[in-house]
Amino acid sequence: MSRKFKVLGAVAAISMALAACGGSSSSSSDTAAALKAPFSTVASGKLTVCSDAPYEPFEFQDAAGKWTGFDMDIMTTVASRYGLSLEVTKQPFDGIWLAPAAKTCDVVASSMTITPERQQNALFSDPYFDADQSLMVRKDDAATYTTLASLSGKTIAVQTGTTGETYAKANATGAKIQSFDDASAMFLALDSKQVDAILQDLPINAYRALQQGGASVVTATFKTGEQYGFGAAKDNTTLITAINDSLKQFKSDGTYDTIYAKYFGAAK
Amino acid sequence: MALTKRQRAKILRYGVYLASLAVVVAVGLLVDWHKLGHALFQWKIVKQQFPQIITRAAKNTLVFTFFGFIGGLSLGLMFALMRLSKAKPYRWFAASYIEVFRGIPLLVTLLILGFGIPIATGWHWPNPYMQGCVPLSLVAGAYMAETIRAGIEAVPKGQMEAARSLGMSYPRAMLTIIIPQAFRIIIPPLTNEFVLLIKDTSLISVLGVTDATKDLARFGRDGVNHAANATPLIVAGLVYLAMTLPLTQLVAYMERRTKAANR
Repeated sequence: MSRKFKVLGAVAAISMALAACGGSSSSSSDTAAALKAPFSTVASGKLTVCSDAPYEPFEFQDAAGKWTGFDMDIMTTVASRYGLSLEVTKQPFDGIWLAPAAKTCDVVASSMTITPERQQNALFSDPYFDADQSLMVRKDDAATYTTLASLSGKTIAVQTGTTGETYAKANATGAKIQSFDDASAMFLALDSKQVDAILQDLPINAYRALQQGGASVVTATFKTGEQYGFGAAKDNTTLITAINDSLKQFKSDGTYDTIYAKYFGAAK
Repeated sequence: MALTKRQRAKILRYGVYLASLAVVVAVGLLVDWHKLGHALFQWKIVKQQFPQIITRAAKNTLVFTFFGFIGGLSLGLMFALMRLSKAKPYRWFAASYIEVFRGIPLLVTLLILGFGIPIATGWHWPNPYMQGCVPLSLVAGAYMAETIRAGIEAVPKGQMEAARSLGMSYPRAMLTIIIPQAFRIIIPPLTNEFVLLIKDTSLISVLGVTDATKDLARFGRDGVNHAANATPLIVAGLVYLAMTLPLTQLVAYMERRTKAANR
C-alpha cells in the first residue's frame, strides 16, 4: 500500500481544493494533442462512465453540475487524452460491474474494489487507489463504539453489494447488519438513529466526517488491502490497456498526485 | 375487378398476421437462446433462491402489502367521508391530505418520513416494518380515499333519501346502507390498488434492510450480487407474477360478473 489516508492533514487541503475546484483537469486537454482512441465507445465521441454517484469524494457533481471527484477527474483526464468527452450514467452499485457488458457504458468508475468474484464478470484496470474499511459513529457514541465487538446487539449500516457488507457479515457477527442502496441513505440512517454505525470504505466515511464538522466520527479502521480498479466488459482489452497506459502516464507526470491532493490532502 | 371493402380489410388483417409471425420467427432465429438462457435463467441459480425467496422475501412483501392495505383502507374511508362532509374544514383537510400524498412520489415520502422526521424530532421508528408500512399506508390512503368517494357517490341518491325518510340517522344510513353498496362497486378498483401496493413495497428497501426484512425485489437484487447473474431477478419477477396474476384475473372475473348482472 503506497498511499495512506491522512485525516487531519486532509481537512485544510479538502476545503482549499473544493474552493479551487474547477478546470484544473480539463485544461490539460488543451495543451497536449489528443491521441487517437485505440478503442471503440458505446456513444461516439464520448467515454461513457457508469457510476453509483454521488459518492463523495470520488464521484459527485459540483454546484455547476460538472462531474467531479477523484474517479471522475481521472476519467475526465483519460477521456480528453483520447479526444473524447465524459458522459456519466448513474447506476445503483449492486451489479454495476455487469453494466459495460450490457453496453450501458464503456467503463465503471465507482470506487470499485477489485475482487476475484467481480473479475469473473468484468475486466479490471490496474489498481488506482488503496482503500481500507472503517467504522463511523455519531459523536455521542465515539467513546463507546470503537470496535466491532462493542457494537454487539446494535445495528451497523452497510451498502448492498459492497466489500464493506461482506466484511461486516464476516466480522461483526454479534451485530445486526442493515443494507442500504447508497451512501447518502446510510448517512441519513445514522443521523436519524435508525442505525448505530456505518461500515464502509475509509475515504468516504472520512470525507463525510470532515464535511459534517464532527457530528460523526471515524472510530476504527480495518486494514483489508482493498484496491479500487476501473471495470470494463470482459472482452474490452483495448480500453483497459488504454486506461492502464493513462494511469502509468498520470503517475509519472504528476497528474495523479495533483488529483489525489485535491481530495485527500498531502499524499503518502 | 375491384375488391370490396370487406375483402380489403380481410387482406390487410392477414397481412398484419403474416408480418407479426415473420417478426416472431426472425427474433426466434436471431436470438442466441443458449446465451440468453445462460444470462437470464440458470437452473442451478434458480434452485438456490428457494426456499428463502418464498419463506422470507415473499412473506415480507406480503406483510408490507397487507399492513399498507389495511392502513390505507382505514385512512381512505375516513378521508372519503371527510371529503363528503358538510363541514368545510373537514373537506379542506381531506382534500389537502389527498393532494399532498398523491402528488409526492412514494420514494420521497418514504425518505421524508423514514429519515427526515426522526432527524428533526430525535424520535426514532421502533421497528423497520412500521417505518415502511406507515408511509405506504399514508400514500395508499390518499388514492383509496378518492376511489371510496367515487364509490359512495355512485350509489343512487334515492338510497340515502329512502333510508333517511325511514327515520335512520345520517351516520347509520351511511354505515349500513350506503357504504356496503359502495364497497360492492369498488371491489375491482380496490383489488387493483392491492396489486399496485404489492409492487410499491419494493421501494421500502431504500430505508435499509436486514436479512430478516428483505422484500422480494431486494432479495432478487441481492441474488444478482451473489450469483453475478440476472437469474435471481427473473425468479423474483415470476414470484411477483404468481401473486399478482390471480388477483388481476379475479378483478377481470368480477368485472365480467357485474357486467352480466347489469345487462
